[in-house]
Parts: sequence; structure tokens; C-alpha cells
Amino acid sequence: MSLPTSVIAGGASAHERDAHGEPAEAARAGVNISGLRRGHGVRAFFGALGVAQWIAVGFLLLLLVAALLPSLLAPGDPLAIDPGDAFRAPGWGHPFGTDESGRDVYTRVVHGTAPSLVIGVSATTIGILLALVFGTAAALGGRVVDFGVSRFLEVLFAFPGLLLALLVITVYGPGIVTSTIAVGLATAPGYARIIRSQTRAVASSAYVEAAVVLGKSRGRILARHILPNAVAPVFVLVTLGVGQAIVWAAALSYLGLGAEPPAAEWGAMLFAGKNYVTTAWWMTFFPGLAIVLSAAATTVLGRALQRRSLR
Amino acid sequence: MSRRTITLLAVAAASALLLAGCAPAAGPATSAPAAGGTLTYATGFGEPDCLDPHNGGNMPQALVGTNFLESLFSQDADGAIVPWLATAGTPSADGLTWDITLRDDVSFSDGTPFDAAAVKANIEQIQDPATASSTGILALGKVQSVEVVDPTTARFHLSEPDSALLESLAQTWLAMESPAGLARGLEANCEAPIGTGPFIVDSWTKQDSITLVRNENYNSAPAGAAHEGPAYLDTIVWRFIPDSATRFAALQSGQVDVIDEMQPDNVVAADSSDQFDVLTGALPGASIRLELNSGFAPFDDERVRKAFVHSADVNPGIQSLFFGTAERSYSVLSSSTPYGASFPDDFTIDTDLANQLLDEAGWTGRDSEGYRTKDGQRLVVDFPVSTNQSIPAEQSLFEQIQATTKEVGFDVELHPLDLSSWYSALGSWDFGVTSAIYTKNSPDVLRILYHSSNIVPAPSGYHANNAHVSIPELDSLLTEAGETTDDAQRASLYEQAQKILSDGAYVLPLYDHLQKIGYSTKVHGLSLLPTLQIPYFGDVWVQQ
Repeated sequence: MSLPTSVIAGGASAHERDAHGEPAEAARAGVNISGLRRGHGVRAFFGALGVAQWIAVGFLLLLLVAALLPSLLAPGDPLAIDPGDAFRAPGWGHPFGTDESGRDVYTRVVHGTAPSLVIGVSATTIGILLALVFGTAAALGGRVVDFGVSRFLEVLFAFPGLLLALLVITVYGPGIVTSTIAVGLATAPGYARIIRSQTRAVASSAYVEAAVVLGKSRGRILARHILPNAVAPVFVLVTLGVGQAIVWAAALSYLGLGAEPPAAEWGAMLFAGKNYVTTAWWMTFFPGLAIVLSAAATTVLGRALQRRSLR
Repeated sequence: MSRRTITLLAVAAASALLLAGCAPAAGPATSAPAAGGTLTYATGFGEPDCLDPHNGGNMPQALVGTNFLESLFSQDADGAIVPWLATAGTPSADGLTWDITLRDDVSFSDGTPFDAAAVKANIEQIQDPATASSTGILALGKVQSVEVVDPTTARFHLSEPDSALLESLAQTWLAMESPAGLARGLEANCEAPIGTGPFIVDSWTKQDSITLVRNENYNSAPAGAAHEGPAYLDTIVWRFIPDSATRFAALQSGQVDVIDEMQPDNVVAADSSDQFDVLTGALPGASIRLELNSGFAPFDDERVRKAFVHSADVNPGIQSLFFGTAERSYSVLSSSTPYGASFPDDFTIDTDLANQLLDEAGWTGRDSEGYRTKDGQRLVVDFPVSTNQSIPAEQSLFEQIQATTKEVGFDVELHPLDLSSWYSALGSWDFGVTSAIYTKNSPDVLRILYHSSNIVPAPSGYHANNAHVSIPELDSLLTEAGETTDDAQRASLYEQAQKILSDGAYVLPLYDHLQKIGYSTKVHGLSLLPTLQIPYFGDVWVQQ
């Protein structure tokens, strides 16, 4: 958490600030703005959090605990069945009720956090890594490469993200790994386009020129000056993107293309519960609530970061 | 709603008004069938690839096909053979030839007369490998040729006596189609087979619906039908709604009038409502059962199969998941099929015995997740589940089997698959256990499912013997039972055969495959044809 916040708070989005004139001047003056006011930025960020943001941070911490140490919150076995106790409404002993095989819904929601978060975070990571390769290649690889990569990204853009994910799954078969990769691939074009324009802006800045004049190697310039400044604003999008990726991964599991039954995964739980939505609402309500809240928490936090970096 | 439907409704409403005007004023409006109207049927059995049930031969084809195709024979509620397009079937003394006499007053909906030449053309089409029949060709395994004796007599020449011939001919998968229609070629025939039924295929919008219109010249209602002559409905719209909750919601909202493959909780809900009714019947043939692939590891070892059967606890699940709509079966055969034998003692839950059997079979190791291992290999049982052929409650039952067999160390991996992926998993023997439906109106289904010759795939690529059972003694019992007509002898032979299957733990019976049809109380005259428990729409009318 601390790295992206600091980079964003301190480094800001060169692109956004160009419009305001001031940071562009700083860039012209040859000042590498990344890394400045690093520690200060974190404090400033948390100092500026409102109630909603604090709730979001609290909820994300809870999710982190649920993902890393699920047995701490729910000691039971999420797969243990008890047919005699099926379709129990929420109440004593089963706070979220039981499902059609008598499995405890609360235990399953808690144990479902890890797969859902892992899918969300790793899909976004895959998306960002791919976007880095494509975006910097397009920005720095010369006109021909830029033309090729940009057209390729536009073709990918023509597909709605989820459709692209479905395409990947159709070719490589369903499962957690493929659906994670599929969601990652589907988010890559959006990130790549932003990284490309960021990289171009940074590459033409005065401090990069200065580094070139000083005779630094190309690799060093890329690693030390261009990438950190170009990627910074993307981290805001990443925070927003994790929420989106969780929803998409749940959507794929809901379609029966992600986690296989009876795995405790939110989307798969929704899928199993939908048949009983009229008679046992709790089977869909609680995993649905978990998806909504985690997507909302990451979004609230992402927005706060975005506002911070715009200020 | 299309303009066409609106016009139809307007016509229907007008005719209803006219009829109401003609009817005696005192009679209640519901008592007399009213002609006209459109009925929408939503099926969960899936969309056929081809509407000609000779090609392949599965339940989706039979369900829709019964509306436009008819068979030589039919069955009454007790399973006795009754005439339909044929008037009688008489075997020779040696059982090797059958004379089937036919009605002389029936025509196909394209005007082609129904006669012995048509019967011959149909049987030959089914037996032609190019048709890629699986159900029909297996049922006709003993038929060598059909001879046209005269226009109303077809003589079947058999290689061996076949006590199930007339039952076979009663199935929709061997229904009679117009020879002129068959001559159009497989592809055209798949789009719109031409039969003698109460409806005609009008159009088929793939992945959406099939539209059927009334056959105005219909005169061959099956035995037990409420009336002769053309159907009352103008149109049937046959829709595909794979999701059972959506299907029930569509019925509740009035978007559709009839649905099949109901979830058990929906059956209970519909039964207790005055707006809906439910028709149920046990589909004949095999019960819903798990088939253990005995041809490949780990179930090539009888001890491992027995360990699985003695650890898979299904009774509590059947009670809770099916809300009293299903009963545990201990028989490979459906309760509506004669000669079923139950062996409950072979399916007791005994985890100690299961553990002991697995130890003996060499699965002595345990890995970190508690699964048994042998030579570093985990005891994995792949379980492909056809999501088209099983309702969600059944899939939940499979999850419970997964959970209970885990206690003795089985790693059952459920793979929900669409129909074609499931067929290909079965075709490549890439599974440990599976559940496959086989509907057939005769105990001869045992020969089709467990005779070693059916390990070899049919022309469609489907092998019916999914348990990979290959026992010479069983083969000869099933062959002999299929040739005898003596009741007591058949019963004894079929019981011995089922005992072999039960002793060897090749099959784990679960419950009867129930046809569960839900319909709006506006729909009148709906019934199930006993042969395959398929709804018959020739008598149906919709209250306007």
C-alpha cells in the first residue's frame, strides 16, 4: 500500500499536471519530481481521509485477514456438509445460514475471500505487466512499433473486456488460472494506452534530456527516470481496477467458467445459490454482499487517491 | 410479440368469442376445449443439434419430435404394447421374422402416404452409418432387413429373436418419417423432419426456439388420446431455457405456459399454488445412477469401486435436496421398467470397510490434504457432469458424494461441462465416474448399457457402456434375456444380470429419473405418453 500512495502523492501524474502548467515547468527545469516528498505524501494522504475512506481501509484490512488467516474468523471447514442441516436461515450457530448441502455460508464467505482477492489482484498485476511491455514499447520503440502496437491495442479495445476474457477461456478451457489470466488480458489494453501516453510525455521531459546529456545508459534512464514517472498515475487505476477484476472474476465463476464446484468462491457461491433465490435468499445475498463491499471499498480508496493526485 | 403472434391471438380471440356465442350459455367456459391459440413450452433438456431423432437419438429430440413424428406402436400405462401407426405385430414361430401390419389411412404431412415402403425406408435410414444414429441403431441391432410384403405389411427379418422389438419401435427415436423427406438428405431432414404427428415444423431459430404449427390433416391420435383429428392449438413455440430457476420464473410470470426439468423446490412451490400444476412420471429405462469406469485406473480394481460405493452417502442428500419428490433407488432399472431388482445390502455405508478395501488395494499413503496415494499418485476420480442433463439439485448431490467419499481418501473432481464437451470426455474414456441418462422403454436397456459389445462406440461416437463392463457371463445372460419371451425366465435372467452388476460395484443407483412438467392451469388436456413419459399436445387447449 505504501509504495503506490507515496509515488502517487509525491510523483503525481505528470500528464494531469501538464495541463495546469506548473509541473510542466518543473519538468522543463529538469527536476525529477518522483521521489520528492515521499514520506510526507503518505502522511498527507492518510490525514486527508474521510469517514468513508476509513471504513473502506478498515474493510480492506478485514479482507486481508480473511484472505491470509481465514480460520481466525471462521474456524470451520468450508466444504463440510451436513445434509440434515440444509437450507437453514441465518440465525444462531449459522449467522449467514446454510446452503443446499448444509454447509455454513459464513464460513464459505470468509474462506472465499482468498481466491476472490487473489484472482482480483493477480489479474490486475498481469494486466499491468502486459500493459507496461506494450505501453513502453509503443512509446519508445519508434514509429513503426508504435503504429503496430497501437493498432493492436485498438483491436483489443473493440472487444468488451468480459467478451475478451470469454474468448480466452473458450480457447484455453475454464478454471481459476485461465480465468485470472483472461481477466488480466482483458484489462491490459486500457492500462497500456495510459502508460504509452505517460511514457511519451515523460520521455520528452527536460530531466530525461538532462540524463541523456549526462551520458547515462538507455536502460538506466528507462528504469530510473521514465518508468517510475510514467507508471505512477496508473496505480490509481490499479486500485480501482482490483475491484473491477474481483467483479469480473466472480462473473466468470458465476457463468461456471472460473472456480469449480463446490469451491468456496464468491462467484461460484452466487451461481449455486441462484437456483434457490426465492426460497433461500441468504445463499446469494451474503456472497453478493462480499463482492459489492470489496469492490466498493477498493473504489472508494481509489477515488480518494485519484483526487489526491489531481489536487 | 411479433405481428404474426398478434394476428394469431386476434384470430384466436375472435374464434373464442364465436365459440362462446355458440356454446350453451349455462356451461362453464372451461368445460369445452377451445381451438386456437399459441402455447409456449420451455425446455431445460437442451436444444437438439438435429430435429431428426434418427440422428443421434437423445431426450431433447424425442421431446420436441413427439409433436411431429409418430411411431408404429405405443404403450399403455401398464407398459403393454398397443397399436399406433401399425395395427399389429406378429412373430413367426422361431421369432426370426415379424409381420407388422399398418394402417392404410394415414399420410405424412407432405402428402406422402404412410405404407410398408415408408417403414422400410425409415429402418434403412436409421441403419445407414451416414445417419449417425446411436439410440435407434442400437435398438435395431438384431434387425437384418425389412421386406415390403404388401403396402400394409412390413416383414422384419431378424438375426436372433428380439423380445423387445415392438417396445423399440414404440420409441420416438425410431419414429416414422416421410420417405420423400428422408430423400432430401440428412441436413435438410435435420432442419424439419416430416412426420404424421399433430404438428408440423414451421421454423427453427437456432439457440432461440422452434415454431410448430397444427397439422390440419391429422388423423392418427395415439391410444388413450382424448380426441381424434387435428389438434386444438394453432401454434407451439418451443423455447430453450437452460437455467431451471429462469425457466420457473418464466412460468410464474406467464411468459411460458409449460416447462420441464423442474427443480424439486419449484415442484413443491407449484404444487401448493392454484395457478400451476405438475405432471410427473418416472422415465423408463435406467435409473439415475453413477457409472464407475471399470476399464481404467483407479476403478479397474473392484476393491476401489466397492470402497467408493460404500463411502458415497447419498440418502441424507436425497431427502434434503429433493424435498420428498424423489426416493432412493437401489436398482439399475427405473421403477417404471419391468424386471428391476434391488440390492440395498450392496450399498450400505461402511467407512471402515471402505478404508480396509483401499488399504488392501494398495492406496495406503495419505497426502497433506488427506487424500489417499499410491506410488506418489493421488486417488483422483474425475467426474464430468453434464449440466444439460442434470438439474442443480442433482449436481449438489454429486458435491455431497464428493464430500463423503473424501472421508476415506477419494479426491473426486467435479467438472461441469456442456453437452458436447461432456460427450467428448466420455468418448475418450477420460473419467472415473459419470452419470448418464438412458431412457428406453424396456429392460433390454441393460443389454445396451452393460453388454461388452457396447464399449465400442455407435456411429455417433457415443458408447452406451460407460462403466466399461466386460463380463462374458453377463453378456450371455443379457443376450438370452433379450431373446426369450417367457416372463418368468426373463425375470430370472435379468435379476441374475443385475446381481452381477451390483456385486461388482459397477454402478451406484441413486433415484428414478422423473419427468417433472410444470404448467399453468390455463393449459388443459396435457398428458404424458406412457412410452417415454413425453408430454402429448394433441389434446391440449389454452383457456383464453
